[in-house]
Amino acid sequence: MDINQVLKDASKEIGLANSQADIQNLKVSYLGKKGKITELLKSLKDLSLEEKKTIGAQINSLRDSVDSLIKGKLLKIKKDEINSKLLNESIDISFPPPSSIDAKVHPISKTFDEVISIFGSMGYAVAEGPDIETDFYNFSALNIPEDHPAREMQDTFYIEDKDEENKPFVLRTHTSPVQIRTMLSQEPPIKIIAPGRTYRCDSDATHSPMFHQVEGLFISENANMSDLKGTLIEFCKQFFEVQDLKVRFRPSYFPFTEPSAEMDIAYHVKNNSLHIGEGDKWLEILGCGMVNPVVLENCKIDNSIYQGFAFGMGLDRITMLKHGLTDIRSFFNANLNWINQNGFGLGDY
Amino acid sequence: MKFSYSWLCDHLDTKLSPPEIAETLTNIGLELESLTDYSSYAQFVVATIVDFKKHPNADRLNICTVENGEKTFQVICGAPNVKKGMKGIFAADGMYIPGTDITLKKGKIRGEVSEGMLLSERELNLSDNHEGIIEVQGNLPNGTDAVTALDLNDPIFEIGVTPNRGDCLSVRGIARDLSAKGIGTLKPINIKKPTSEEFESPITWSIHNDGNSCSFVVSRYFKDIKNSISPEWLQKKLLSIGLRPINALVDITNFITMDLGRPLHVFDANKIGNKLNMRLSNDREKLLALDNKEYSLNDTTTVIADNKNPLAIAGIIGGNDSGCTLETKNVFLEVAVFKPSMVAKTGRKLGINSDARYRFERGLDLEIVNDGLDYATKLINEICGGSFSKKVHAGKLDLNKNIISYKFDFFEKIIGIELSEKDQIKILNNLLFETKENKDGTCNVTIPSWRNDIKKNIDLIEEIIRIHGYDKIKTNYPTSSSNEQKKILNSLINKKYKVIKKLKKSLISNNFDEIITFSFQSLQAHELLSGDPSLKISNSISEDHAFMRSSMLFNHLESLENNRKKGLNKLSVFEIGPVYNNSKLQENILFALTSNNKNQNKYFEEDNLDYYFLTKIISKILSSVNFDIKQFNITRSSSNIFHPGQSADLHMGKNLIVRYGKIHPLILENFPKLSNTYGIEFYFENLPLDSMFRRNKNSKNESNFQHSEKDFSFIFDKDQNLYEVYRFVLGIDKKLIQKLEFFDEYLSSEIGFDKKSIAFKVTIQSLEKTLEEKDLEQIHQNIIDKVSNKFDAKIRS
Repeated sequence: MDINQVLKDASKEIGLANSQADIQNLKVSYLGKKGKITELLKSLKDLSLEEKKTIGAQINSLRDSVDSLIKGKLLKIKKDEINSKLLNESIDISFPPPSSIDAKVHPISKTFDEVISIFGSMGYAVAEGPDIETDFYNFSALNIPEDHPAREMQDTFYIEDKDEENKPFVLRTHTSPVQIRTMLSQEPPIKIIAPGRTYRCDSDATHSPMFHQVEGLFISENANMSDLKGTLIEFCKQFFEVQDLKVRFRPSYFPFTEPSAEMDIAYHVKNNSLHIGEGDKWLEILGCGMVNPVVLENCKIDNSIYQGFAFGMGLDRITMLKHGLTDIRSFFNANLNWINQNGFGLGDY
Repeated sequence: MKFSYSWLCDHLDTKLSPPEIAETLTNIGLELESLTDYSSYAQFVVATIVDFKKHPNADRLNICTVENGEKTFQVICGAPNVKKGMKGIFAADGMYIPGTDITLKKGKIRGEVSEGMLLSERELNLSDNHEGIIEVQGNLPNGTDAVTALDLNDPIFEIGVTPNRGDCLSVRGIARDLSAKGIGTLKPINIKKPTSEEFESPITWSIHNDGNSCSFVVSRYFKDIKNSISPEWLQKKLLSIGLRPINALVDITNFITMDLGRPLHVFDANKIGNKLNMRLSNDREKLLALDNKEYSLNDTTTVIADNKNPLAIAGIIGGNDSGCTLETKNVFLEVAVFKPSMVAKTGRKLGINSDARYRFERGLDLEIVNDGLDYATKLINEICGGSFSKKVHAGKLDLNKNIISYKFDFFEKIIGIELSEKDQIKILNNLLFETKENKDGTCNVTIPSWRNDIKKNIDLIEEIIRIHGYDKIKTNYPTSSSNEQKKILNSLINKKYKVIKKLKKSLISNNFDEIITFSFQSLQAHELLSGDPSLKISNSISEDHAFMRSSMLFNHLESLENNRKKGLNKLSVFEIGPVYNNSKLQENILFALTSNNKNQNKYFEEDNLDYYFLTKIISKILSSVNFDIKQFNITRSSSNIFHPGQSADLHMGKNLIVRYGKIHPLILENFPKLSNTYGIEFYFENLPLDSMFRRNKNSKNESNFQHSEKDFSFIFDKDQNLYEVYRFVLGIDKKLIQKLEFFDEYLSSEIGFDKKSIAFKVTIQSLEKTLEEKDLEQIHQNIIDKVSNKFDAKIRS
């Protein structure tokens, strides 16, 4: 039998096979005990040693070729069979999921985080105090005596219950009482910020009966007003993410600081949106000043050695400015559509 | 505080334009609130209504024919005061109306063409008056611009004056402060001392020694005067700052209040007794005041009284019955000094905000008490004629001035910039503070009578830098020391904020949105929750906010209800914030609320919301702060906000850590849109902060040896706490028993209704070797024996 003819036939027949059974049959008819190639091998015994060597090698190579053709074809047939089965398991890959948006944190959470982190990098630790305060911490220790017009700068909520001095408790009108609590409990140097909830009886688009403030306090032997200015400008640059920030400090009055200042930042409106940092209009951003020596004295800090500065700003306000939000009431009415539009998901928080 | 440019120029000689003055005001701490410049009103012109007729389709409207000097227009007008021949102010189409913030467009009103508008005072922002259109007086030709016609040449400043600056509640005071900044010269005031005093006042004064607020009072009596409408210059001044002229006597006192900051009061002398005194009132007395309201007085109210009745509330408001009218013939003029804090207290108690109170409670310049009297005397005499008495007074006027010993180098220490002694003195002198230098780097500063807010060195520093300019303060950025950073690293509160952030991340990962709600709750909620009565707010803004909240439950239920009403399906919210146990104790907790989300999507089913789903969420939240829910003692919750059979308390020792479960149906009754709602209260501050703060990592070493799993099934008493079983089994062999997972519960009459069959899988693995069959069997048997013994349980085969 012609070896080449056998290979030709085998190739042809394997090529035509299209089931695993066909392949099995071909395997038997070529490589089985009585298969064509097996027969060829058997016929070798009649040949000379020399011929055995050359022809034997040829037949072995033939057997390997046929074997690999069969294995290859078998694999292909198996794959085709599975794939045609899997295609029957096709599902509608285009069926849409229910509309869903990732849950978000409130924009104020993001601001808290940024404020704590920016001031943290400047060396300010976080401090805190209660929302329901005594008259002493919220007013008198801060140099706001009773029957002083300065009390009317803030509309105070009162609690019916009375404190040890028989004065009604108040809802803190600012975070400044935390200054007093901290100074009474720590030795200078003191460098703290105190973010938290504050309350005033007032309600419109820019005022809410509850809002958030952050207080800052730095007491040392030489913290001065230039340091105050530098600190606050740096904070605003980082918070509002603007390199060139035009600011204005102007004289103001708070009973607990002297000299007192308010800081404005420049802005302009372009295409209906607010751009912070440059422009010819001013936005009031915070109140600040050198801690009034009377307040240090109230807190048993020697004001012939120590001095420092304090500042306070509305966290809702800076959040609104940074993110272009306009109505503070929407911060607290728990409207989930608003939270989803303005909040921050895991990736941004 | 409002004033006009021309009024300011009565006191200040300046070359600066109104906008430049405005900027200077802000720079020296007199913050500009508005500068109203009416020059743009020149586009509006005088026009005559030559004819009008009723609008055919609207009763209230008229069709007016209006001539502006160039053309005739048809204008539809609803004003009731339309008359033929009347002159008004006309705005043509395309013009912007400031009072309504609208630009006029040509159009039809109820079918009739309207080509412009006749304006009211409100539409021009001149007053709140909108009852009719402006009627231009006099004989001005049509086409005259509104600025000329309405005399609006004078720009109006409005500034915010801080409570310490009582001295700037007068045009004079503002001019004085501006002059210190060097932008002009303060004009001298020449109040001539009246010389024609003729007689002794028939009315006399006394001040009772009862602790009332008056220390000095001085007066004059005016005889045979003729009160009238004020002269034009006076009316114009008052109108320019929004004050309504009343009559000459009243207008003069109002003018001096604004011009010099010196409130004074005029009584109709025929309506009062002849012995006046300053005294405290009592709770039987009442006064009908000039604002037409009756006030009940008490023993802290200082009043001006005759021998019968209180006539005025000292420093705050006069009485109606003793006030001056156009018929007044004889007048008694009073100028007094009252204690600021007492005026403030009374004013606040009675709720009266008057120009007088506003000035008295901020403290007044004592040196102009007599000047004020003389100025008023001069004006009354000029305008109303008649004759006036000699002064009559009671009490003492303390004109001693405060002297401060000022240290120059204190300035640099506080402000951080250098300023020479010479420059500091110059500023103080510009502010009219007298200085006397000493040789030791100090100087004695005499404080002028109008600056009663200046008492200490720091006050002077503020004055110096205020005038020098805050823009001159340099900018120094103090960097952080390593010591400070160490403090922050160890700060418990900083750690707490990191923990809060972890919790928030965990909550949003579990699809809860963060909300922030008010720290208040309603009376109804407070009662239902048995909140502490000490949490009542005295002056709450509404019934819904009457108490400080003892729980966030109702705020959150309301939120879910409102969001569901808007058609939202995904209703899972949380808040980390305070709840209040009583007025002295607040806790920060995490509250979360989730309500059934009915989702009909065939392929994307949500997890079933039930108690067990919630347990899984809590387990994940706890795990985000390094705690395993099965470490806690679990008991049924006794809280009345939850379903008694489907809620739990988790305790660590005595501390409540988490309380959660299905919201009680009786509470949900109030929220018709909500059903199947579950809540979580997590008292995370009761857990050890440092454990929560740690980075979450599994400290167990991984074993490379073969592990083995074995399922067990026990019959327990039905109320057996499986958290206990869990902890017990793990404790049987801590080295080899690595994991325990419960997977089935079976209840049936077969095993008895008071029993439950529980299946769990135990994973056993050694760190040291592959365990042999006999080792494993020994452990299995050990578990069976110990569990059976400890819990009186039976192993099921």
